Amino acid sequence: MIPVPDTTKSWLIDILGPDIPVNRVAQGTGGEIYLRISTPDFPRAVARIASSQFALIGLFCAEAFENTKGTSILYVFEKQENLLVLIPEGSGTLPSIARIFPSASWFERECRDGFGIEFEDAFDTRRLFLHEPYPENFYPLKKSCVNAPITPRSNLGPADEYPFRKVSGEGVYQVPVGPVHAGVIEPGHFRFSVIGETIFNLELRMFYKHRGIEKLMEGREPHACLPVAEAVSGDESVANTTVFCMAAEQIGEVTVPHRAWYIRSILLEMERIASHLGDEGGMLVDVGFPLGANQFSVLREDMMRENDRITGSRFLRGMVCPGGVARDVPDAELANLAAFLVRLKKRFQVGLKIVLSTTSVIDRFATTGIVNRSLILPLALSGPVARASGGTEDVRVSHPYGIYGRYIPGVKTLHDGDVLARFTVKAAEVMDSLDLIERMIQEIPQGPVQGNFSARDGYSLALVESARGENLCWLWIRNGRVERCKVRTASFCNWQAIEHAVQENIPPDFPVINKSMNLSYAGTDL
Amino acid sequence: MMVNALSCFLKEKVTEEEPVRDEDVERIGTAIQKEINAVFGRSLAIRELDTGSDNAAEIEINNLSNPYYDIERFGITFVASPRHADVLLVTGAVTHNMAIAAKKTYDAMPSPKFVIAVGDEACNGGIFSGTYAVLGGVDKILPVDLKIPGNPPTPKEILAGLLALMKKARGAT
Repeated sequence: MIPVPDTTKSWLIDILGPDIPVNRVAQGTGGEIYLRISTPDFPRAVARIASSQFALIGLFCAEAFENTKGTSILYVFEKQENLLVLIPEGSGTLPSIARIFPSASWFERECRDGFGIEFEDAFDTRRLFLHEPYPENFYPLKKSCVNAPITPRSNLGPADEYPFRKVSGEGVYQVPVGPVHAGVIEPGHFRFSVIGETIFNLELRMFYKHRGIEKLMEGREPHACLPVAEAVSGDESVANTTVFCMAAEQIGEVTVPHRAWYIRSILLEMERIASHLGDEGGMLVDVGFPLGANQFSVLREDMMRENDRITGSRFLRGMVCPGGVARDVPDAELANLAAFLVRLKKRFQVGLKIVLSTTSVIDRFATTGIVNRSLILPLALSGPVARASGGTEDVRVSHPYGIYGRYIPGVKTLHDGDVLARFTVKAAEVMDSLDLIERMIQEIPQGPVQGNFSARDGYSLALVESARGENLCWLWIRNGRVERCKVRTASFCNWQAIEHAVQENIPPDFPVINKSMNLSYAGTDL
Repeated sequence: MMVNALSCFLKEKVTEEEPVRDEDVERIGTAIQKEINAVFGRSLAIRELDTGSDNAAEIEINNLSNPYYDIERFGITFVASPRHADVLLVTGAVTHNMAIAAKKTYDAMPSPKFVIAVGDEACNGGIFSGTYAVLGGVDKILPVDLKIPGNPPTPKEILAGLLALMKKARGAT
């Protein structure tokens, strides 16, 4: 921990007001400010943070943190480049802050499931990631709970059924969808309440794929966590291993060699391109335009083959590791990659032209699934979903990591918030990533790709911009092993926006709205 | 309208390169088609089921429908309902939260039916085996006919797995 300068203290006083003491404050190695306040001061502090336009981007627990007895709760707030971690101290239950920060609702339910933490006056206390088969009073993330197979409840009756919000009234009927869907997609349950053809309400139920990612990381050395980080979400393998490694490197104050950061950044951008190409194709499939869709699905397959050629994995796996990258990519290979991307760019533009000049596509895309700009802050939305609705944030710009201080991405912002805006933002980001990679390949320096990494004890917060938006990792290492790792992908927050985006749309448009937001089920369910 | 038609004739013709023909895919695909013709009456219906994967396997299964593989031309279709399916293609370790839905999906399939586990986690639980959140591989809850390991397996490996299953099914009849 780094002591904070007086300017930080006066900045905190500006936000919190003079009546909340800010003496127990420290700066983390990721640039985040940790502030401990007493439980009675907590509601006032939260209200003032909210009025200063911060977003709540994380809320999680850690046991026996910094020699504190019991469970500490960490609240992570973000405003542009500022990261504030609030840690209330003292006994007594904390109030739920979901009425002030709606993004807190899922987070609080997550803490309740994992650690048995109750929040006073919480309006939603249903279980989140532990579904009916899990026994009562089972809190898997507590240290006292051993990570071993459990006996699921088998005698489940109608009384155990998950209570969905009831929407009633004349002509309202329910359309239950999932968890097993019609297409080749991941499982999740959508409960539509429909009047005539119009969606009146949608309630999500996720976490069918809860695999215990966070618990699985505990007790492992950082290197051994990489396969787990890759399994958070397959198509975000580079982003999630990078954010994990960044946290571990910040704790150990490890310098990652320059060339390694170039390779990491090239891989991050390749991952973004592959992901966006898949989305663009998927959106076109969902509006029944295979001619356009295949333009992009061919490019996506080409991209995945190029991934395989460069790294030996179609998902770019096994490359990012603590201290740098596992192996170098020779300059000749990078030159081939650059040539490949020039060809890809031309073909991508041809595909775009076909799509954007087809009226039937525009007709389906425009005004469909609007995410209102006013949702960005309360729900902590990020990535193309936020940027298509007037959002201007990109982690690569607001918290530049690695070499992104030199390679500043062009942040494309649109304001319509509909499927067309998300399609267009993603297209612009593909072009931008292509340019970034091209420049990086031109300027990549020679040198080693592995720094001296050894796990040091401590904790740190790291953020990266994945294809889907802001991914967060808070890592705490004790005795060289992971004591607690909180992973929060962009999808966890962005999922909640879809409940709003589908209102007043029709159920047949749901697939294209869903695809345009490209939400990872695996990355949410963990 | 007239201008459009004219310009179609007069404009320079743009042709794109064909994607490289992949001989392996052709060979495996043709062999599968032969087996499907012999055993399944010319069409094989597959239902995909994700019981807790990291979505990489889904992406590769989806890729089987892109123009490079286009497996529909070999008589293979992905169907929307388990009631229409011959084969259940399962990805991911079986989570407690998905176990009930997975069993219901299998029960909804008409016999004869086959189950393929796709990816390391579906085969034996992979990195999640022995943890609180999963039961283990697919064989913990369903009879598995074939396992295709990989993290995830490539589209070609999945295709080769389907061929192996077809041959096995022919042997059984």
